[in-house]
Amino acid sequence: MPYEVKEEAGKDGRKIFLIQKENFLELMTDLRKQGYDHLSLITAVDFRDRIELVYHLQKSASNFELLTVRTVTYDSTIDSVTSIWESANWDEREQYDMMGVVFRGHPNLKRILLPEGWVGYPLRKDYDLSKNQYVNMDDEGNDRVSFDPGDGW
Amino acid sequence: MEGQLNSRYVELNMGPQHPSTHGVLRLKLLLDGETVKNVEPVIGYLHRNAEKICELDYYCDSLIYFDRMDYVAAMNMEVGYLEAAEKLLAIEPPERVKWIRVIMAELNRLASHLVWAGAFGLDLGMITPFFYFFEEREKILNLFTEICGSRQETNYMSIGGVYQDFNDKIIFKIKQFLKQFPKKMEGAYSLFIKNDIFLSRTKGIGILEPEVALSYGVTGPMLRASGVPYDVRKDAPYLVYDKLNFDIPISKGKDVLARCIVRFEEMRQSVKILNQALDKIPDGPYFNPKAKKSLMIRLRGEGDVYARTESPKGEFGVHLVGDGTVKPYRLHVRSPAFKNLSVLPFLSRDVLIADMVAISGSIDLVFGEVDR
Repeated sequence: MPYEVKEEAGKDGRKIFLIQKENFLELMTDLRKQGYDHLSLITAVDFRDRIELVYHLQKSASNFELLTVRTVTYDSTIDSVTSIWESANWDEREQYDMMGVVFRGHPNLKRILLPEGWVGYPLRKDYDLSKNQYVNMDDEGNDRVSFDPGDGW
Repeated sequence: MEGQLNSRYVELNMGPQHPSTHGVLRLKLLLDGETVKNVEPVIGYLHRNAEKICELDYYCDSLIYFDRMDYVAAMNMEVGYLEAAEKLLAIEPPERVKWIRVIMAELNRLASHLVWAGAFGLDLGMITPFFYFFEEREKILNLFTEICGSRQETNYMSIGGVYQDFNDKIIFKIKQFLKQFPKKMEGAYSLFIKNDIFLSRTKGIGILEPEVALSYGVTGPMLRASGVPYDVRKDAPYLVYDKLNFDIPISKGKDVLARCIVRFEEMRQSVKILNQALDKIPDGPYFNPKAKKSLMIRLRGEGDVYARTESPKGEFGVHLVGDGTVKPYRLHVRSPAFKNLSVLPFLSRDVLIADMVAISGSIDLVFGEVDR
C-alpha cells in the first residue's frame, strides 16, 4: 500500500484503522474494493483544536463485521465519500449541520436537520447555548432564522 | 428544472402535517400529472438535538432522551444506549437483568410493529385493521404500566440493572398475553394478505435491490425484505440473544409487500423468543450494586465505544466518547429510520403519488428518531 495505516483495538474490541487525512480517500476506496459495502455511520468529535472523524464500515459478505476508520482534521475539511457510498450523503450533511465539517466534493452540502441560516454548529464545544434563535417562515415558504424573539412563533 | 418556467411539472408540498407522512415529514414533490418525478424530504421539525442535551447530563440521566427518540419502541432505545454506556463505564448487568431486558425489548418490538401495521393500513385506506392492531398494542402497554409505571416513555432500565424486578404475576400475565396474541395477529394479518386491493397496491411497488439498499445504509426489516439476512441479534449478539433459538426472516420480494411480510414474520419470531425467555429467566439480583442509585451520578467513563443493537427499525448504533468525567464527551446516535428515509427519493422516482405513500409507509418512520 502506498500509504500508512495504523491499526489498533478499541476499548470494546473493535478493529480501528487510523489514517492520515491526505490518504483518507485512497484508503476508503480500497476498503470498498475489499468488500466493505455498508457505511453504517459517520461521526465527528470536537476536541477543540481538531475534529476527529469516525467512520463505521461493515462487510456484508462476512456477517457485517465492523471496522472503524478514524481520521483527524485541523481545518474542518475532509474529502467526501459520497462517490463510494450513497449513505454518506445524508450522514455528511448531518455532520456539516451539527459540527461544521466541510466535505469536499459533496454534491449537495447544506443543512439537514436545522434550517438554512442557523448561526453556529450546535455540537461544537464552543457553541453558545445562551443565545436563543427563532425560526419562522417567510411568504415563499422558506425558513428564516433570527435572534429576535418577536420573530418566533 | 429549477428557475425555469415549465408548465409540464408542478411542485407540490406534502406535509409536514399530512396524516400519511407519519409525523412531521415534509415532502417537496415534483409532479408530472400524478407521477412523481422527484421527491425532496425536508426533516428536522422535531429536532431537539438530544446528542447535545446528553453531553450536558450525567450518564444515567441521558436515558430519558432515548425513550423519546423512537417513542413507540422506548425499550429498544434504552437497550441500545445501555449497551454502549455499560461498555464504557465497565459495569456488567447481572444475568437476570439481561433476560428481563430481552423480554421487554421483544415486547416493545411487537408493540412497534403493531403500530406500524395499523398506520400502514391507514396509509392504504384500510381503517379496520388499525383497531385490531392497536387493541393488541394496548395490552402490551398495559403490561408495561404494570411493570414500569408508565406506558410509552417507560424509563424502565438503568445503568447496570432495571428499575423494578419481575415477579411471578407479571410473568404469568405476559404468558397469558402471548397465548392469545398469535391468533389475534393472524386474524388481523389476513385482512392484509387476503385482500386483493392490498396486494395490488403493494406487490411490485418500491423495488429495492440489495446492492442499492446496502449502499444507502438501509437496515432492519427493509434490508431483510431485499434478501440480505442482516440482523444484529444474530450477527453480533448482545444480551442473551445467542442463547435463544429464533430465525431471521428474509424475503426475495424486495417490494412493499415483502417488507410487510417480513415484519409480520418478525412478530412471530418475537413471540417465539418471548416464550423461551420467560421459561429460561434465571433468579438473581436485578441491579448491579456498583451502580446503585446513590453511586449512579459518580460513574466515570473514558475512551470511546460503539454499540449496535437491533431496534424494530433497524440497526440502532450508539457511539459514546467519555473523557473521564461524569458526563459524556460526545454521543452520536445512528438512527435507522433516518438512513432508511434517505432511500425514499430513489424509490419514488416515476411512481404514482399513491404508491409513494405506500412506499413511505413501508419504511416505518418515527420522527422522534429521524430528527432526534
